[in-house]
Amino acid sequence: MFSELNSILNTSPESFKQGEFILVSDRQNDASFLIHHFLSFYLRAGCKVCFLGFVQSFSHYSAVSQRLGVSLTQAREKGQLVFLEGLKESLVVLLRGEPEVSKRSPSVDFLRDPGSGLRGLYNFVQSSVRGSEGGGADWGPPVLLVDDLSVLLSLGVSVVDMLDFSHYCRATVCSELQGGMVMLVRCEAEEEEEDSDEDSERLLRGLTHQCSLTLQVQGLPTGYCRDIHGQVEVCWRSRCDGLQNQKKLFQYKVYDKGTSFFARGTSSAVL
Amino acid sequence: MLLEVLQGTEAGGFILIQDTVKYSGRQLLKSYLNTALKREEEIVHVLGFETSEDELRDGLDKTSAQRLHFHNAYSDPLGWTANSPFTVHQFTVEDISTLLKQTPQAKAVTLVIDSLSWILRHHPPAVICQTLQALKKGGAVRTVVGLLHTDMHQRGTVGSIRHLASAHITVAPETRGMGAVAKTTRRTKSGKLMQDEQIFSINEELSVTVQSKHSHPGRSHNNTDESEVDPTANLTFNLRLSDTEREAKEKLALPFVFSKEKKSALLHPGPGSGRILYEPDANDDYDQEDPDDDLDV
Repeated sequence: MFSELNSILNTSPESFKQGEFILVSDRQNDASFLIHHFLSFYLRAGCKVCFLGFVQSFSHYSAVSQRLGVSLTQAREKGQLVFLEGLKESLVVLLRGEPEVSKRSPSVDFLRDPGSGLRGLYNFVQSSVRGSEGGGADWGPPVLLVDDLSVLLSLGVSVVDMLDFSHYCRATVCSELQGGMVMLVRCEAEEEEEDSDEDSERLLRGLTHQCSLTLQVQGLPTGYCRDIHGQVEVCWRSRCDGLQNQKKLFQYKVYDKGTSFFARGTSSAVL
Repeated sequence: MLLEVLQGTEAGGFILIQDTVKYSGRQLLKSYLNTALKREEEIVHVLGFETSEDELRDGLDKTSAQRLHFHNAYSDPLGWTANSPFTVHQFTVEDISTLLKQTPQAKAVTLVIDSLSWILRHHPPAVICQTLQALKKGGAVRTVVGLLHTDMHQRGTVGSIRHLASAHITVAPETRGMGAVAKTTRRTKSGKLMQDEQIFSINEELSVTVQSKHSHPGRSHNNTDESEVDPTANLTFNLRLSDTEREAKEKLALPFVFSKEKKSALLHPGPGSGRILYEPDANDDYDQEDPDDDLDV
C-alpha cells in the first residue's frame, strides 16, 4: 500500500469510498504495481477480497504482498481472500484431459466453449463475494480485483462478453453490495486513437464508460529514464458534482517497498 | 439552441445525446430529465442499462420523483441471475408499450434510454433503428431521448442512428477551462437543418448554463453591429473630389505614362544636350573585334 497514492486519491483503508469502480490501464509500461497496491489496501481495510489472477501465480502475489506488509496466505486461510489462480485453472483445461464433470470448475467455462461467455466466471465472483453474508467471519464490503482482463482477449473471449461480465460485476459488487472493483487492462497500441478498432482499445473505452475513476499508466513521452519510471494520469469521472473529468498527472518511481509519486518535473533527480 | 432542445420547446421527436470517453453525456441527460420532470403533465420512463436507480435519482428533483418511472435493466440485463425486471431482449415495441401502459395515462410520455450503446451490443443496428422509428410513430411516446457512446461503435452504426434523430447533441470537453462544448443539430419539421456550437457547464442542481457561443449566426450578428458605426465619419483627409479637382486630376500626366512628346524628345535630342566625341590617339591600338582589349582585367 502506497500512502502517497492514498493521499492523491483522498482515501485510506479506514475510510474509502464505497461503490467505486477503478480502472487501471497501462500503455507501454507496467501498471501491476498498482494492482499490488490495491490488493494490500483492501486487505488492510478488512474487505472481503476476490482476486482473479490471470497473469501471475499465487506465490508471486504473495511474495510481493509480503514486502508490502500483508500476508496473502493468512488472508486466504482466514477466508478474507478468495484467489482464482487463472494460470492453473486454464492449464488444466487446455493441456491435461478434463476431469469428471462434477469436479470441473465452472469459472473457466469460456475455455471449454468460447461461445458461452463469462457467465461461469461471474458466478464464481458472485458466490465468493456473497459468501461472506452467510456465517463465518464478518468481513467488510466485498472487493473484486482483476489482473488483468486483457489476457482473456488472447484466450478468445470477445470484447462484448467482457463488457457484459464487468457490467454484471459492477451491478453486483459496486451497486448492490456497495463494495469496490479494480480492473487492469493493457493496451498494445503506442498511441491512443479515437477510432481504433483494435480489441484492447475497444475494451478500454467500454470499461472507461463504466468506471468512476481511471488510473492510466504510461511511459514517459521523452523516453526511458532511470529515475522516473513513468507517469500516471488520474481521472475522476465523478457523476454527481460539477467537476466532471477532473484530471491530474503524476510521475512515479517504483521502489522495493513502495512507490513515490510527484508532480511533473519535480523528481529528486531533476531538482 | 442547446437550451431549446433540452427544455423541449419543440415537442416530440427523438433526441440523441452523443458522447465519448473524454466527456460523459450523462449529466446532460440527467439535466434533461430534471427539466422534463418539472413540467407538470409529463411522465418520464427511464430504461436504465448503465446506471442503477439510486445513481440516476441522485441529484434529481425530489418533489416530482413519483413521475419518474425507472425500469431496472441494470441489475440483470441478460437474465443471468434469473430475477430480471427487464432484459435487453425485451427491447421491442410490444414490451416497451406494456411497460408504458403500467402507468396512468398522461398527456406527454418521455422515454429515456440509458444507453443505446448497451442495447447496440446485443442487437443489430437495423433492429434498433426499426424499434426507435416505431416508437416515434406509435404515438404512445412523445419524446424519446437516447444516450450513445459514439466511440464504441462503427461510424456507420452511429450515422444510421443519428439519421433517425430530430435533434442530436455531441458533447466534448473544452480544451481550456472546466466547461464542455456541445454541437447541436436540429432538424425542423420542414426538413431544414440548424447547427450550433456552444460552450456549457452543468452545476450541482443539474441546470445547464451556456457560457458563450461561437456559432455562425452569432458571428454575422456581430457584423451588423459594427456596420452601424460609420468608419468614414471622422477622417483627417478628404475622400471625395469636387469637379474642378477632378479636372485637374485628369489633366495631370503621370510620370510613367509614355506620351508622344516624351518619345520624340528622347529620339531627337535638341541643342544643348551633351554628346561624346572620341579621337583615337596614335598609340591607341583600337581593335574593332575586341573594344575592351586595353582594359587591365
